[in-house]
Amino acid sequence: MYKSTQTLIQEMAEDLQPVRALRLRSGLLLLLAAVGLTVLGIALLSGLWAGVWQGEASALFLTTNGLLLILGCAAASSVLRMATPRVGNQHDGPRWAALMLAVLPVAAVLSLVGHEHPLGEIADPHGLQCFGAAMLASLLSAAVLFYWLRRGAPVAPRTAGLYLGIAATALGSAAYGLACPMDGPVHLGLWHVAPVAVGALLGRYLLPPLLRW
Amino acid sequence: MMAEEETLAELMRLAQGGDRQAYTALLTESQRWLERFFNRRCAPGNRDDLVQEVLIAVHNKRATYDPARPYLPWLAAIARYRWVDHLRSVYRKAEQELTDGDVPAGSGEGAMLARLSLDRMLAQIPEQQARVIAWVKIEGLSIREAAVRSGQSESAVKVSIHRGLKKLSALPETAE
Repeated sequence: MYKSTQTLIQEMAEDLQPVRALRLRSGLLLLLAAVGLTVLGIALLSGLWAGVWQGEASALFLTTNGLLLILGCAAASSVLRMATPRVGNQHDGPRWAALMLAVLPVAAVLSLVGHEHPLGEIADPHGLQCFGAAMLASLLSAAVLFYWLRRGAPVAPRTAGLYLGIAATALGSAAYGLACPMDGPVHLGLWHVAPVAVGALLGRYLLPPLLRW
Repeated sequence: MMAEEETLAELMRLAQGGDRQAYTALLTESQRWLERFFNRRCAPGNRDDLVQEVLIAVHNKRATYDPARPYLPWLAAIARYRWVDHLRSVYRKAEQELTDGDVPAGSGEGAMLARLSLDRMLAQIPEQQARVIAWVKIEGLSIREAAVRSGQSESAVKVSIHRGLKKLSALPETAE
């Protein structure tokens, strides 16, 4: 730095323009709109499974999609708050929600122990389709959260990237879950949860350089 | 301290609306606060640069301050972020020596500073990592000198610094 701090302060004061404060509520509304559009897109392209509101959905189906939704909300809430930083913000919620969700794939794998053809269960022909569709359904939420963080001032870019990946894929997988009638523990526990693991890895390793400021 | 916090928050609210006088007063007070905040946590020769970097960040990111919340925890989060960046980039310089020449904080202010301080971040990482970061990145020891002082190999010191900085980078908001 070559100038005195007082000179810098004067220059910045002269440069001052009014700004609109970044509001958490605006971020939430934007994300809600993204999730709504995603569900609408899924409804138009794939059609939602009517069994969800006709009482045909199994408890495991509801539990899996419910946990995905809770994790998505917890992680998205942390991401939105990271845009307006302050000492004292804690971001533990997504960790616990992620651990709860992790029970599903563990249970799915354990349920295969002693099974005559465990690989046959895993090699679910619809699994990859659900995985890919959930990843695609995550894109709009990811774009909104990324835009919000770029406008904001995230002070822990690695954590922000990780939670962004988790939030977008958990919401995307929950949204696509409304179109998938399959409710087996292996299908739900592996193929509907796998996008979150991939999203976490992508967010953690690809996004931080793009979130630094 | 509460009165000062409320005054700063009000000044920032006015600054977000475009009030230049309030903004000048806010930045001047922030400068003083930051000088105390960074006291003994970076080499004196680097402190002014760091203060200026944080003030520029405040200017560029002023929209991210939530007017409904206190000002200092927001400023401290940004200051911590810039400090970790600074630690990553700083290397030994000849003029680096710690001094006690800065004005000590008053008692009420001391409590707030203590809660927001950089020491709270260092306390959250393993002691050995915090120690070698302080020696090399703040006091200006070379890797070799830090290795001799700690009884570790040079590569172990480098690994400790790398791991410590990685952990610190996750803590600007959560360590209090």
